[in-house]
This record gives sequence, C-alpha cells and structure tokens, in this order.
Amino acid sequence: MIEFKGVSVTYPGAKEPALADVNITFQKGEFVCVLGRSGAGKSTFIRCINGLQPVSEGYVKWEDKTLSEMTHKETLEVRRKTGMIFQHFNLIPRMSVVQNILTGLFGYKKSYENLLGLFKSSDRLQALEAIDQVELTVEPTRRVEKLSGGQKQRVAIARALVQNPKVFLGDEPVASLDPGTADRIFQLLKKTHVKRNLVSIINVHDVILAKKFATRIIALKDGKLVFDGTPEEFDDKVYADIYNHSS
Amino acid sequence: MVWFKRSQFLILLCLSLLVIGSMKLTEFDLSKFRDFQNMGDFLSKWFPMNTESLPFLFQESLLTIAIAFLGSLFGLIIALPLSFMAARNTSRNRFVYSVTRFLLSFLRSVPEFVFGLILLTTLGLGPFPAVIAIIFHNIGVLGKLISELIESADKGPMEAMLAVGARKWIGNLFAVLPQIWPNVLSQFFYRFEVAIRTSLILGLIGGGGIGQQLFIHFKTFQYQLVSVDVLLIMIMVIMVDYIGSKIREKVI
Ligand SMILES: Nc1ncnc2c1ncn2[C@@H]1O[C@H](COP(=O)(O)OP(=O)(O)OP(=O)(O)O)[C@@H](O)[C@H]1O
Ligand SMILES: [Mg+2]
Repeated sequence: MIEFKGVSVTYPGAKEPALADVNITFQKGEFVCVLGRSGAGKSTFIRCINGLQPVSEGYVKWEDKTLSEMTHKETLEVRRKTGMIFQHFNLIPRMSVVQNILTGLFGYKKSYENLLGLFKSSDRLQALEAIDQVELTVEPTRRVEKLSGGQKQRVAIARALVQNPKVFLGDEPVASLDPGTADRIFQLLKKTHVKRNLVSIINVHDVILAKKFATRIIALKDGKLVFDGTPEEFDDKVYADIYNHSS
Repeated sequence: MVWFKRSQFLILLCLSLLVIGSMKLTEFDLSKFRDFQNMGDFLSKWFPMNTESLPFLFQESLLTIAIAFLGSLFGLIIALPLSFMAARNTSRNRFVYSVTRFLLSFLRSVPEFVFGLILLTTLGLGPFPAVIAIIFHNIGVLGKLISELIESADKGPMEAMLAVGARKWIGNLFAVLPQIWPNVLSQFFYRFEVAIRTSLILGLIGGGGIGQQLFIHFKTFQYQLVSVDVLLIMIMVIMVDYIGSKIREKVI
C-alpha cells in the first residue's frame, strides 16, 4: 500500500544523508514500530510518508501513485487520509478540545467553511464520538492548555480519528508521557488500528513497548534500514547492534 | 572583576564617547536650569483652568480618539495578512517575502507627518487625511512587529495542520494566530496610545482634534485653555492604557 524505493533525504548543507537508500513496503493491517537511536532518521522517515519531507532521491508510492508527482490536491488528499500524532501533541493553543478535534476535518472542507467554522451537526457528533473513543473524560469545551500530557495526546488522536484515516503515523507519540500513560496510549492506538484496519507506522524509543504492540519492527541506523522483522526476531543481539555507540 | 571582559571596557569607552558627542550636538547642559524661575512663571499662567469651553474641547478629544482608533485598527486589519506574507515561515516564496518586507519598511520609514503633508494636497484639511496617514505608518510598524511574532511561533501546530491536509494559508492562520494573539493585542493598544500622540502633531497641519486646539491656544496665548487641553490628553492616554491592559488580562 505504501512503498519506499531507494529513498534518500539529504538536508540542505548536511554532508551525510539523514535517510539513505531505504526500500520497504507496508501493507494494510500492519502495526509497525520504528526504532533507532536519536538522530538515526526516524522522524525524517515518518515525514516522508505524507510528504511533509520531500525526498532527495528515489520515491514514495501510495498505491500506484508517486507522492512527488501528485498534484497539490492529491497530496492534500493523501494527508487527510493520514492521521499523524506527535511527541509534543501539536494542538492549537487557546482552542477547546472539540475545536481542536474539528480541525481534523480541515482537509475535507472548503476554505471559507474552515475559516468561519461552518461545521455541520454531524461533524460535531463525529467529534464527540471521537472523544468517546479515545476515552477522554474532560468537558469538550475545556481549553487544551489545561489538560495533562496524556489527555492532550488523546485529543490529538481524536483529531486524527475524525480524519477517517487509512494510515496512522506517529512521531514518538508517547515520548513525553510517563510509562503507565504511554502504555495506555499505545493500547488505544492498537485498538483503533485493529478496529479500522489501518496501516500504522510509529516511532518509539521504548523497545519494550515496540515488542509488546508491534506486528513488525524496523530499525534505522545512520539513515539506513538495518532491521526489518517480527518482534520475536528483534532480540538482544539486534538491539545491541542498533543502539551500540562504538560501531 | 570576573563579570567583565577587556572588550567590554572598550565598548564602555566607545559608548562614553558617543554620549559626549551627542551631548555637544544637543547642547545638553543641566546648568541651564538656573532659569527655573521662568518656567514657574510660565506655568502659573496656566491656572486657574478655563473650563468654559470644556464641552467643546471634550468633543475635540473624542475626535482625537476616533482618529487614533481608526488609524490603529485599520492599520492592524491591513497589517495582519501582510505580516503573514512578510514572515519567513509563512510566506509563499522568497519574492513575496522580500517585496512585502520592503513595502513595510518603506511605510515605516515615512513619518505620519510627511504622509499628512502629502495627503493634504488631495484630501484637504481635516481629520480624514490624519486617519489615513496614521493607517499607513501603522501598517508598516504593526506589519513588522507581527511578522516577527509569527516567525517565533511554535511550528508544531503548523506541522499538525499540514498533516491534516489543510490548505497552507488556513493551517498557518489557525496554528499561528491563537499563539500570537495576546501579543498582537498589546501591540495594538500600544500603537493606539502612540496614535493619540501622533494625532496631536497632525493637529499642527490641520488634522483636527484636541491637538489642533492645543496649538491654536498656544499660539494665541490662551494658557488657561492649554492646561485643559493637556489634562484631557493625559486622561485619554491613561484611559487607553488602562482599557488595553484590562482587555489583555481577559484574553490571556
Ligand atoms: N530540518 C533539518 N535540517 C537539517 N538537518 C536535520 C533536520 N532535521 C533533522 N536533521 C538531521 O537529520 C538527521 C536525522 O534526524 P531525525 O530527526 O530524522 O532523527 P530521529 O531519529 O528522529 O532523532 P530523534 O530520536 O532525536 O527524534 C540528524 O542528524 C539531524 O541532525
Ligand atoms: Mg525524531
């Protein structure tokens, strides 16, 4: 469903590529965790999938279409079917929980509807349902600055849910949360993933979480794909190899 | 002296030279205050205040507020979209960025007084050219200040809006405006306060309002009216400052 072919990314001014000749394919139903040391290229990799980061070489394909050859409209369509969640939640401050969730519909609406906040009652209902699904128990009119980290991430997931996504992308979605909350957020992601039959590709620093939830683990090192296998195959030896500083 | 480096003494030396030079140029000399008596005599002519024409002067003050209000509000409304074009992170491309930056610094470099003089030729005397002059200058000032606020905004929300598939300008607007809004408001009220003082100067070239009255009274030696003008001006500035801070408190 999503295919990387010879993908490299070199940031302007950088000597070494942040992503080097990555080849990989993802299928529907896969819950993929991406591991790697800090600076290995995980964020760059994730951002290539929905075109937030343009590739320097190779291509990323969605079904049969190459991302870099899509029209602007097609790119927006790819993005709106991709729910993305971030380490720092990236909610819009000074807006309420439900307002933030409704911004997830921006890709479906005309500009003037977004600008004026012309949402149908069915849209609102959808937002409230999403609040339910992420098991958020705060008042929908509460401002998001006043939530805890775990609650904020639930709002972000709800925002991704109303996009009616085919793909979930996560750039270290639990890195700012305590271990208990991190586990519950992952449970939520996995549950939604199964229910909606998505492709989920999520960066994590926590190997235990990855092994617990992933159906497939991949690992990056210095921008290269160095491991691709099942959680069982990801053993101590592979671990040492990826996180070892000396090599 | 662990806090200081040798280079800092050099800077201090340069600074002192600049201060001395500037004092020479401006004939800065505190001993001139010997003639303090004169000022006292002069100020005593201001009292008692002549309150007879207070209703009229009050009306002129309202005109001044109206000039300042429109001058800063319309300035803000026009400056907002321009500042998104003049901010590196939200501008469509380098060309738009450079052109708007240039336009804003041009508007900023022309004083309101000069705009007023130029506009007089087409608009004639009166408060209208004063409003337009203040709008022009404020577009330049607010545009620069707001574009800098936009550039320092957290880019996380912008990224999230892109990821949602929103059009870029919609995403930027929603991601940035809530972040910078309290600062925008305080800049607006500061410019409002400045515009009150500016409209006084524009009174000199027939811009109307309490400024014009102040100059008329001054030129015709009606000092007991001058004192009333000054009092009204002070009240206006303090009021705008107070209302501004109250509104900001509400917003934050
Ligand atoms: N915008 C950028 N401009 C230039 N270089 C960048 C940029 N973003 C990332 N890099 C560089 O690219 C490399 C990969 O960065 P990336 O953010 O993808 O790593 P990561 O695996 O996500 O790291 P972390 O776990 O710390 O988030 C790093 O060397 C980084 O310094
Ligand atoms: Mg990262």
